[in-house]
Amino acid sequence: MEIELIVFLVMLGVFLLGNFLFKLPVSLSMAAGAVAGALVAGEGIPLRHLFEGTFVYMDTILIISTAMVFMTVIQESGALEALNAVIVSKFYKVPAVLLVLLMFIIMFPGMITGSSTAAVLSAGAIVAPILLQMGIPAPQTGAILAIGAIMGMAAPPVNIPAMLIGGGVDMPYIGFEGPLAFLTIPGAIFTVLFIGLRYCKNLDYEKIKGGLDLEIGKKYGIKLYIPIVVIVVLMVACRMLPNLIPNLGMPLIFMIGSAVGLFTGKRFNAVKAIREAMKTTVPVLGKLMGVGMFIQIMTLTGVRGYIVINCFGFGLVVLYAAICIVMPAFGAVSSYGAASVLGVPFLLALLDTGDQVVIAAALSFICSLGDLMPPTALAGNYAAQIVGEKYSKVLRYCVIPFIVCVLFGLFTLLKSRSLGFLT
Amino acid sequence: MLYIYLAIVLFLLVFIVWNMIQEKNVLLQIDAALVVVPLVLRLLLIK
Amino acid sequence: MKIETKKSWLTAIVLLCLSALTIGYLATVFLAQRQEEPIYPGPGVTEIKMLSDWYPGLKDTAGDTEVYVLKGAKEGDSMLVLGGTHANEPSGLVAAVLLIENAVVEEGTLYVIPRANNSAMTCTDPQEGAPTRFTISTPNGDRWFRFGSRATNPVHQWPDPEIYVHATSGQRLSGSETRNLNRAYPGRTDGNFTEKIAYGVAELIRQEDVAIEMDLHEASPEYPTINAMVAHEDAMLLANSAIINMALEGVSIGIEPSPTNLHGLTHRELGDFTDTYALLMETSNPSQGRLRGRTDSEMVVTGKDKFYVKAAEYGRLYVPYDEAGHPISMRVARHICGVTQVAAAFNELGLGNLVMTNIPSYAEMEGDIGPYLAPPAA
Repeated sequence: MEIELIVFLVMLGVFLLGNFLFKLPVSLSMAAGAVAGALVAGEGIPLRHLFEGTFVYMDTILIISTAMVFMTVIQESGALEALNAVIVSKFYKVPAVLLVLLMFIIMFPGMITGSSTAAVLSAGAIVAPILLQMGIPAPQTGAILAIGAIMGMAAPPVNIPAMLIGGGVDMPYIGFEGPLAFLTIPGAIFTVLFIGLRYCKNLDYEKIKGGLDLEIGKKYGIKLYIPIVVIVVLMVACRMLPNLIPNLGMPLIFMIGSAVGLFTGKRFNAVKAIREAMKTTVPVLGKLMGVGMFIQIMTLTGVRGYIVINCFGFGLVVLYAAICIVMPAFGAVSSYGAASVLGVPFLLALLDTGDQVVIAAALSFICSLGDLMPPTALAGNYAAQIVGEKYSKVLRYCVIPFIVCVLFGLFTLLKSRSLGFLT
Repeated sequence: MLYIYLAIVLFLLVFIVWNMIQEKNVLLQIDAALVVVPLVLRLLLIK
Repeated sequence: MKIETKKSWLTAIVLLCLSALTIGYLATVFLAQRQEEPIYPGPGVTEIKMLSDWYPGLKDTAGDTEVYVLKGAKEGDSMLVLGGTHANEPSGLVAAVLLIENAVVEEGTLYVIPRANNSAMTCTDPQEGAPTRFTISTPNGDRWFRFGSRATNPVHQWPDPEIYVHATSGQRLSGSETRNLNRAYPGRTDGNFTEKIAYGVAELIRQEDVAIEMDLHEASPEYPTINAMVAHEDAMLLANSAIINMALEGVSIGIEPSPTNLHGLTHRELGDFTDTYALLMETSNPSQGRLRGRTDSEMVVTGKDKFYVKAAEYGRLYVPYDEAGHPISMRVARHICGVTQVAAAFNELGLGNLVMTNIPSYAEMEGDIGPYLAPPAA
């Protein structure tokens, strides 16, 4: 047995033992797995490597934390409840249209920022209560949020895994809009209708009405929505007018939105709300620390290379199988990591099989789906948290849409030549 | 922009440490202790 | 699992003390990478300037970097060699150092910037498991060099945007590329830190009327543009002649035209925005590849990796690869041979005069560059 395989098994084993047997948090289990791997590989306890690995997530830490603060602020100010009431009372007669519309709202922040976490935590939090009031059970609602956020992350104009894959082979991010829309829009519509439609074919508005707070919107009027408008405008403006408006970045945009939200609705104790937001965020940040350590030690000890090289060892059929299985599975640590570590060599291996942009787009789409994979599953975990469910329950309802999306991605890969017109 | 982001880091650190001091679950305290390390290293512009 | 504590403030203080100790230790490790490797100017160096001498906006920043000037006794044309554009591609840095320590210019001027992205030398890329240093043996002791990052240190330029829009072309790349010097050309004074470094390099070329620019890079063995000279269309004739000369020295190398739709790179933008002949060279470096196994300083120097041997068997590489690996001596020798032969071709084609001597040949360096590096100071 090769040493890299032994190290990998030790890392996985210690992680699983810690997480399932000793019920340690994912963060500590992964950190323990990383330390064990380093020890077995003869690296001692390489503190520098362990913590260096966490720095990949510096920007993610800021996005998650500030998004949670923003979400808490618009919840406390009453903006969320008011918005729910407006949307449901306007569209309850056409549930299928309403569902698709809500799905696009979930996707929107992901499309603009390329981050599924930002999508779940901003638009997802807004849409979740509406879906619940429409009669969709919590786990299914969580599944819609999670996949919607991922579709948003993969949808044009901004798809970061596609940029990472393209960047690895010096392919400019040009012509991706068509293939990415081709992949994500059917995926999103299928998911929301497949999961949600059966529960809300005949909506009884009178029944739903009881759960809506129709007063708060009347009391504060349009100013209640200003924080949401501010973040949407800032997100779009930074993207559309990069030469006029300095790039503020998602964390700052969320902070500005939060600050505005303090003055546009119900009064609440801001410090207490922010403390609560951070209390729920720290375990997720800890998880990112563990994941960062784990990947760094995988790279240091050669485990990462071992996995990649073994995906290449066989013919094209196995390569496609690896794309459909290993790449999303790598999302368990990080979907961006999957794009950069696996996506680039896979693209190089497939360059001759069809249209390069379509192939890169399809690979990025499959990578993005990895954001559903536990334990990291940022989009999934937050979706579950928003609907107050365990992620394992939510995940169950993601399985079929996930498989359909992966197969659709595979179809696009196989037919990339004839889909070249999309670029 | 760098200094605005450092201010955001400091802002988050304050709340993380504050929560940590009042957190009763030691494992969650360890999580916070882990998160503090990269945030402080960035705040001090070391890494 | 839940471990409850009644004195939460006490455990918090203990844990924060541990964090503080860790931070203290890590600070010494990370700050140590800001110490520059010694470079010993050779007989040909006539002056050591700073990039801020051409663009004062860089003064007192981590982007300012040494420019070694090797001026010949006779007037002639000039060449600029860039090492360390990507600080995780070490043969560029070492080749530049070797030129500084050996080359003598008789006609014309040679400018060498060994650490083009000086900031990138001060950190390593997270999750790459890279070593911070590597050493090359010389007959009089070991010389150490830093292994850095592909991009500017985030402590000097942060945060990254979600997407990086290249200023002059509008090209969009992933946000982290905003710190990639070789996506920042031609640079601008009102741009980000990395764009300012790029602007400084472009200013040097413009103000000194530099005839030839050579940017020394490395690529992973699975990357298509490898063991190649990439040339701006204006420099194609020069590159063609040079690679024929290189072939005569026993160096097999391809030539690739600079893609017109890929922006921010030296071979595209310095060719478009200045009058220089813009060239870039790539050698093969397994220590930056995605298929590599255990990553350490030995791999950087020997270029040996068992997984790349396998990858070659699977037909996944764009260069021949076997157990002998791609040692840094061979990679540096290729770069130096390229520099020498481009200068020779420049003269042969009657484009100008740039005569350099005292540069070892490919055959002399291929097996071991150690003897051509200055002995380390005691």
